[in-house]
Amino acid sequence: MEKRVCGASTNLICAKICAEMGLKMENERTLEKYIRGLTAGMLGGMVVALAIGFFFMEKREFSENENRYLAKLPSFGLEKVQSGEYMKDLETYLADHFPFRDFFMGMKTKAETSVGKKEVNGIYMAEDGYLIEKYEKPENTEKIGRILKDFAGELEGQDVELRLMLVPTAVYVYEDKLPDYAPVRNQMETADRIYKSSGILPIDCSGDLMEHKEEGELYYKTDHHWTTFGAYIGYQAYCREMGLDAVPIEEMDARIVTEDFCGTVYSKAGDYGREGDAITVYTNPADCLTVEYKDTGEITDSLYNLEYVEAKDKYSLFLDNLHPLIEITNETAVSDRELVLVKDSYANSMVPFLVHHYKKIYVFDTRYYKQGVSEFIREHKNVSDVLVLYNMNTLDGDLGIRGVY
Amino acid sequence: MVFSSIPFLFFFLPFCLILYYAVPYKANNPYVWKNVVLLLFSLIFYAWGEPVYILLMFFATAVDYCNGRLMERFGSTKGRRRFFLICSVAINLSVLAFFKYADFLIATLNGLFSLSIKPLGLGLPVGISFFTFQTMSYSIDLYRKQVPMEKSYLNYLAYVSMFPQLVAGPIVRYSVVNEELRERLIKREEVEEGLLRFMQGLFKKVLIANQAGGLWEEIRQLEMGQASVATAWLGASAFTLQLYFDFSAYSDMAIGMGRMLGFHFPENFNYPLSSVSVTDFWRRWHISLSTWFRDYVYIPLGGNRKGVARHLRNMLVVWFLTGLWHGASWNFVLWGLYYGVLLALEKYVWGKALNALPKVCRHLYAILIVVVGFVIFVFDDMGALGNYFRAMAGCAGNRLWGEECLWYLRNYKAVLAAAAVLAFPVYPWVKKRAEALGDKGRAAVSLLSMFGYLLLFAVTTAFLVNDTYNPFLYFRF
Repeated sequence: MEKRVCGASTNLICAKICAEMGLKMENERTLEKYIRGLTAGMLGGMVVALAIGFFFMEKREFSENENRYLAKLPSFGLEKVQSGEYMKDLETYLADHFPFRDFFMGMKTKAETSVGKKEVNGIYMAEDGYLIEKYEKPENTEKIGRILKDFAGELEGQDVELRLMLVPTAVYVYEDKLPDYAPVRNQMETADRIYKSSGILPIDCSGDLMEHKEEGELYYKTDHHWTTFGAYIGYQAYCREMGLDAVPIEEMDARIVTEDFCGTVYSKAGDYGREGDAITVYTNPADCLTVEYKDTGEITDSLYNLEYVEAKDKYSLFLDNLHPLIEITNETAVSDRELVLVKDSYANSMVPFLVHHYKKIYVFDTRYYKQGVSEFIREHKNVSDVLVLYNMNTLDGDLGIRGVY
Repeated sequence: MVFSSIPFLFFFLPFCLILYYAVPYKANNPYVWKNVVLLLFSLIFYAWGEPVYILLMFFATAVDYCNGRLMERFGSTKGRRRFFLICSVAINLSVLAFFKYADFLIATLNGLFSLSIKPLGLGLPVGISFFTFQTMSYSIDLYRKQVPMEKSYLNYLAYVSMFPQLVAGPIVRYSVVNEELRERLIKREEVEEGLLRFMQGLFKKVLIANQAGGLWEEIRQLEMGQASVATAWLGASAFTLQLYFDFSAYSDMAIGMGRMLGFHFPENFNYPLSSVSVTDFWRRWHISLSTWFRDYVYIPLGGNRKGVARHLRNMLVVWFLTGLWHGASWNFVLWGLYYGVLLALEKYVWGKALNALPKVCRHLYAILIVVVGFVIFVFDDMGALGNYFRAMAGCAGNRLWGEECLWYLRNYKAVLAAAAVLAFPVYPWVKKRAEALGDKGRAAVSLLSMFGYLLLFAVTTAFLVNDTYNPFLYFRF
């Protein structure tokens, strides 16, 4: 026992001497050792500097580039610690507020594209400056068909024209712009399966989009939505199928409201520094509109909220982003028909064309409207048309469609 | 907490090291404070993911610590010592069996006798396979009088729970670190070299293993009936690279952190993908596990000294257990036995013929076996395993070659190329060449690698920051 204590203290002295020697010996270190030491010191220094930076740099609430709210410091609680939830939240918080986050996010994409990666974070780096979102393997095709079939069943006996419009995204229409050998899943095959299993009459605008793709940009280069021109092509297909006379696009007032729209796909890809898109909005001077947002009670005469032009998510200017139910009245519509539109955000830029034909359009976002659309239709006997419109990419993952039935 | 994450790299590790270096030496027991710091951080590390199972860790270590004390106190005869050894091993194996294998056993019984016993559904305690093997090594070595008894529970717990090697090895035996637990030199140069070694591991994990893993995930999601043969092989290779770089990167990081703390852990990998035979592969792959089984199972069973029949039986037992150790599922057992059989064949059938072949052929032979082996390793669903093998063999009418394969090669060429090069001992080769150039050459190489380290660190950080970015963009649109 005594021996061990003795040994330990000798060792302690040894350690002390060595520490002093270490300082003295520094001059004698070879250049190689010195550089290695310097490397280690710099790496360690960077780790510590970034950690210190985290504590002293200002925390942002919202990330413009990623277009989302960043995590908040989780509150401490014994239960949350026990379940491990606290630690998870803390990890997210640390990553979300990491110093120079935007710089590092951009750097990751740069590193990947510079070694030849053509797909980053599920986005193809396509030709002509297009960033095109990948079409992931659909997982919910049967479920969606069933939901829509149930919805159609509920409307049986009602005197309404029901249609289903599944819109392809850029990955389908601009397949020729994708990088070579990029694997493609056919969106319209999935759409056909849903058309069949739901039993609802389809409106297929994919052919129209393909046909008109040389005439103008159908999709934004930096966002997952179609452009207003793309939406116009979709509207034409709708009119053809429904026997309506589409308003020629020349008769509408076109106005470019912004030229630097950097959308969702831009954020997802992280390839910052690309140019933004222009957004053109169309208004028909013949229409006399009242737009009522049922959740906020706000009433306006425009389908656009141009305050969003200053924000990051500029696509939200169409129909003021998200609302469970919007009632649009057109006093000068060409008919007395009323349309129920069950949709995702793709429809927001098509509504400005549709209003010309309907006295009233009820616009439902079923992610937020929970009282049942079919119930609404039964109670409103004037409703003559029902259109269900979704894009093929968010249809599967988003499942807002669950709210339909 | 994983090593390659922002919380660990930028907060946990620097805090721990700063405190560790800052606490003073104590006069009669110099490292006690450092051990306390180490233990404290190890417990936080363990509790981070599994707050409840920390009690299990206390239990497992207390059992072996007490057993050790009792063995020294009452173990005057071999029989008595053996009694305490059996106690320790039995308790450790029961803990392991209960937490890791109970549901597997239940599922197997249910399948065999069409019973419907309810599975326990227990989460697997992190690192349980590693720390039970470590504590057993202590009991067995103590029984064999190869190590002295550990008097301090603090030291013992600090040894077993030591965070660098807690989750994924290497399996550090008590005999390796027992002296360093009491006395160790923390030299500046060791700390620097340890930090560089840690960084190497970090780069390997984030920039190669995770990327190769991304490729593998993409390929495994394909419909195997339609995938081309080339794609199936590419997928299997990607998984092989992922597993090797992931696992060896963890060992690199553990060894590096060990050195920064003043410990010397054993090397765990020696370029296994550059092996020339299966025997060679297992001398280079997860060395701390294969030597554990060799010293504590294979040799006690008689090894190869008691005739061919006994030898074959011993190999079968060892490889059955090695397979099972990797996971509670039949595919791991199959994977272990696959190697058992191949090793026996190399030993008794074609080993000599193999050695006569040109080196390129031997490399090809070994890598082929390894890649096929890891396909068994990755699928715990036998049906999926069968489908994948059919695609690799082109049995389901698969095309030999497809555009999708070109797409993957195009996207992952840099990672695959880097991985293929680094799987061979290129780094030691460069170092050797540099040494031949004398002091100036060495300095030049270290200067070049300095820029490499700094660049890779920045890129790695970028990947780590991006990693946690779960694109959830649509909720506001």
